[in-house]
Amino acid sequence: MSETKKKERLQDASVVPVHRWFQFLKSRNAQAISLPVTILFALLIRWCVSLHGYSGRHTPPLYGDYEAQRHWMELTFHLPPSQWYYYDLQYWGLDYPPLTAFQSWLCGVVANAIDPSWIALGVSRGIETHSSKLFMRASVIVLEFVTFVPAVVLLFRLRDMQMSWAARHVSIFSALMQPCLLLVDHGHFQYNAVMLGFLVWAVYFAAREQHVLMAISFCCSFMFKQMGLYYAPAVFFFLFAQCFRLQYGGLLFLKLGLAVLGSVGIMLFPWIQSLDQLQQILIRVFPVARGLYEDKVANVWCAVNVVIKLRSLFDTQALVRLSTVATALAFLPSCLHMFFKLWHQNPRTDNTTANAVTLLSYCLVNTSLAFFLFSFQVHEKSILLPLGAALLLVDKEEWAVNWFVQVALFSLYPLLFKDGLNLPYWVMAVGWSALRSCPACPADTRTPSIVMKLQWLSTLAMLTIHLGDTLLSPPASLPNLFVVLNVLYSCGMFVLFFVYFNYRQLVCLRSDADAAKQKSD
Amino acid sequence: MLDANDIALVGIGVGVKLLLWPAYHSTDFEVHRNWLAITASLPVSRWYYESRSLWTLDYPPFFAWFEWMLSHAARLLDPRIVDLDNLDYAAASCVVFQRLTVIASELVLFLALCRAVRATGSSTQARVAAALVFLSPGFLLVDHVHFQYNGFLLGILVYSLTFALEGRDLLAAVSFAVLLCFKHIFMYIAPAYFVYLLRHHCFAGSKIDVSALRLAQLGLAVGVVFAIAFGPFVAMGQTHQLLARLFPFKRGLCHAFWAPNFWALYTFTDRLLSLIARIAPQLVTANISQLGSSTRGRVGDTRFAVLPDIPPIATFVATFAAQTPAFAVLMRRTCRPTRLVQATVLCAHASFMFGWHVHEKAIMLILVPLGLLVAAAPSQRVLRAHAVLSIAGFYSLLPLLFGAQELPIKAAILLIWSLCSLALLHANGHSAWECLTRVERLYVLGHFPLFALSELVPGLFGHMQFVPLALVSVYTALGVGYSWFCLAAAFLTDRS
Repeated sequence: MSETKKKERLQDASVVPVHRWFQFLKSRNAQAISLPVTILFALLIRWCVSLHGYSGRHTPPLYGDYEAQRHWMELTFHLPPSQWYYYDLQYWGLDYPPLTAFQSWLCGVVANAIDPSWIALGVSRGIETHSSKLFMRASVIVLEFVTFVPAVVLLFRLRDMQMSWAARHVSIFSALMQPCLLLVDHGHFQYNAVMLGFLVWAVYFAAREQHVLMAISFCCSFMFKQMGLYYAPAVFFFLFAQCFRLQYGGLLFLKLGLAVLGSVGIMLFPWIQSLDQLQQILIRVFPVARGLYEDKVANVWCAVNVVIKLRSLFDTQALVRLSTVATALAFLPSCLHMFFKLWHQNPRTDNTTANAVTLLSYCLVNTSLAFFLFSFQVHEKSILLPLGAALLLVDKEEWAVNWFVQVALFSLYPLLFKDGLNLPYWVMAVGWSALRSCPACPADTRTPSIVMKLQWLSTLAMLTIHLGDTLLSPPASLPNLFVVLNVLYSCGMFVLFFVYFNYRQLVCLRSDADAAKQKSD
Repeated sequence: MLDANDIALVGIGVGVKLLLWPAYHSTDFEVHRNWLAITASLPVSRWYYESRSLWTLDYPPFFAWFEWMLSHAARLLDPRIVDLDNLDYAAASCVVFQRLTVIASELVLFLALCRAVRATGSSTQARVAAALVFLSPGFLLVDHVHFQYNGFLLGILVYSLTFALEGRDLLAAVSFAVLLCFKHIFMYIAPAYFVYLLRHHCFAGSKIDVSALRLAQLGLAVGVVFAIAFGPFVAMGQTHQLLARLFPFKRGLCHAFWAPNFWALYTFTDRLLSLIARIAPQLVTANISQLGSSTRGRVGDTRFAVLPDIPPIATFVATFAAQTPAFAVLMRRTCRPTRLVQATVLCAHASFMFGWHVHEKAIMLILVPLGLLVAAAPSQRVLRAHAVLSIAGFYSLLPLLFGAQELPIKAAILLIWSLCSLALLHANGHSAWECLTRVERLYVLGHFPLFALSELVPGLFGHMQFVPLALVSVYTALGVGYSWFCLAAAFLTDRS
């Protein structure tokens, strides 16, 4: 049997349910229905989750993220762009970059066409009718299926040579059914899938060596949500390396610069005339007056603060400097490693582009995780960024990504619980664990047994904290005990994952090269 | 026993069903809540007399006892659920509780299907067919959204048929009797059981005394079941009231949303002819004053303008006549247990096509036994008929969930199921889709424009809101009727 066939057999010989589903489809000659069923199932689960609660439901006067997004549709539709970043800043003032504003405007146009009362200026605040909710939920789904889903499908299809058919579809399924994105976007209510969609497009263009398009996609990503800047160092160093590596590097650098400036410029076009407007946008999008962290997030600073009260020891300026330095120290090793590897890539060895994309994926995870752990004003939803990048590696890092998703979902629990998304949380948590890792199955040959044992311990720890939260009431002196335990546990795990993914980035090319050597022997 | 695949399937099913709890639920929800209240609050002697609510108890006693059992848990969770005067109570606790009872009672269906898979050879095809039955839109949309307990009842039917397939006729008879005491609609397939048991169990051998003994055994076993169920009520002198409750004939010929049966086509033809009569009176004479409220899709006596009216007795005669292929199947030279399943399908199909006030939900009565037949190396004809019938039948269920919120749910569930059914069920090495003829494929694909017309373009028909429903009924009735002929032909001529 040839080496490729043997490798395929080994890749396909799995006991994990989601793997077996796709192998089953292949065995029944039913590959044609694979993608349609995956996408329809993704739609079904999203819509089912949409039936449940959302951020700020029935909580006047301010409500939550759901009302914020609706309010932005209202204000962008009725007011001229010059007022968008000034209008009633106390009631959900616009604090995302312009592309979100444009998206809100587009949704506002559609909403107005169907039923103007949903976004009537001023009077529609806090509207929570059945039909308005349907519209809002539908808008998230439509936008996701237009931006995120095609990107994921196309990206994994592009990596055809490296993966077997079943593995490719398992990756698509996993990337689409990742519970955290699902619950935050379609439960809590946000449009993160659009930002992640643009990022996946960027990686897709990287895989096709279309660097200008990659730069433009990434601009769209961070101009939609400034959180996308968590990926910026990785993207920057990747493109910078291409400038060094490729023949007309200087020209490429120029083109990239123009592309970035051009796309940002186009998106800022309505405000480009007025410096005051631009400054206001900057102030709204980057609110530096806020503190080191808000609420409880599985971030190093928040975790450290449990023991050492940082906020009372240092002043804000010092803390900003501290976090900036820490973040830079955290992401630079990964970025520099990728930069030098790419620069010195030998174009004659196989799979240069594939290796580049692999390195990029690892670097994206490491950079965004570095920002999440050490940056300023991090929200717990920001874990979606490392997750989004990690799912690009779901075929290379099966058990690590599985586990990472589980812990990330656990870290989101306090947020989801507040939104009344308890049931969907449990269904998705159990579903993800059962379908992708199947603890009840005999040992998967590809997962080391020590890892399985540690995963069991991890699950046990999370369940214990959940049980404690449900059954016990926290002591009066520590009212947020279980949230704090959640934060401490998640943060610890995230730090471990950070170290692990950095390590994997250092060795990933080596293992791929070994596999390539085996193939050619 | 149960392998990881089975558990994964149940897991997915339960997950989706749990996520669906806030979705729309119909008046059937209130019906069952009211029955919980009746059985919890009143003594047994009052159960069939209580009429404070519109939704009186109209299922046989075993179902009442089932509700009584559930009501204890309900009272522990939230006492207001079982309050008789608390009409239309639909708080979260009530909805979640009732949905959970449906999910839990479906365990019966799951276990029955596991047993059926073993009885039909445990092949991949059997497992696929069983999975498709367990996760079919008929259960997901009707039981878990609209709200009913069909899964658990059809589970008992599957048990009954499986016992027959295993050769245990007495158990099959007893379980069928039990099923009848849960929901008497299954009486439509009783003739099949009757003839089969007589032929296969009682008079199989040549000895008269053995036959007589077996007949007596059978009669006694079934009699005991009925005695346990109805005995107490007969003893209390409530026979008349029970019969009145169980067989309400005041309802009209057609259900509010026309089930895709012969009468739907009949009604449609009548409407068409009356339209022609209005435009060109010289061609067709019509009694326009007879046109009742059936155009508006409400329950009431259906009146016809051109074609003759249909009294209930006519439907009985028609149904019985239509059931003759089933008896013919049972009277074939070899009387193997598969014949019972085939006859059940045909009886259920006939009663669906010609019955009085048929619900489109009754399609499950045909599809579940047919699923058992598809599980065991079916012929291409049977597989094709199954494909057409299941897709048309399930599609006719979609109008039951009429809200915009449920639109993506029902469309996605039906599409996923149809894709899996067409691709994963095989006959002679070919998938169901490959077996379909060109016309059949066109018919199946025709459901897409039908969906666009009936669901996505609501304003198109203005005040004639019944037109999309009529379209759905007529189109799916064609498929249901066609598959009936195919199945009858296939069962009467199969050489196995």
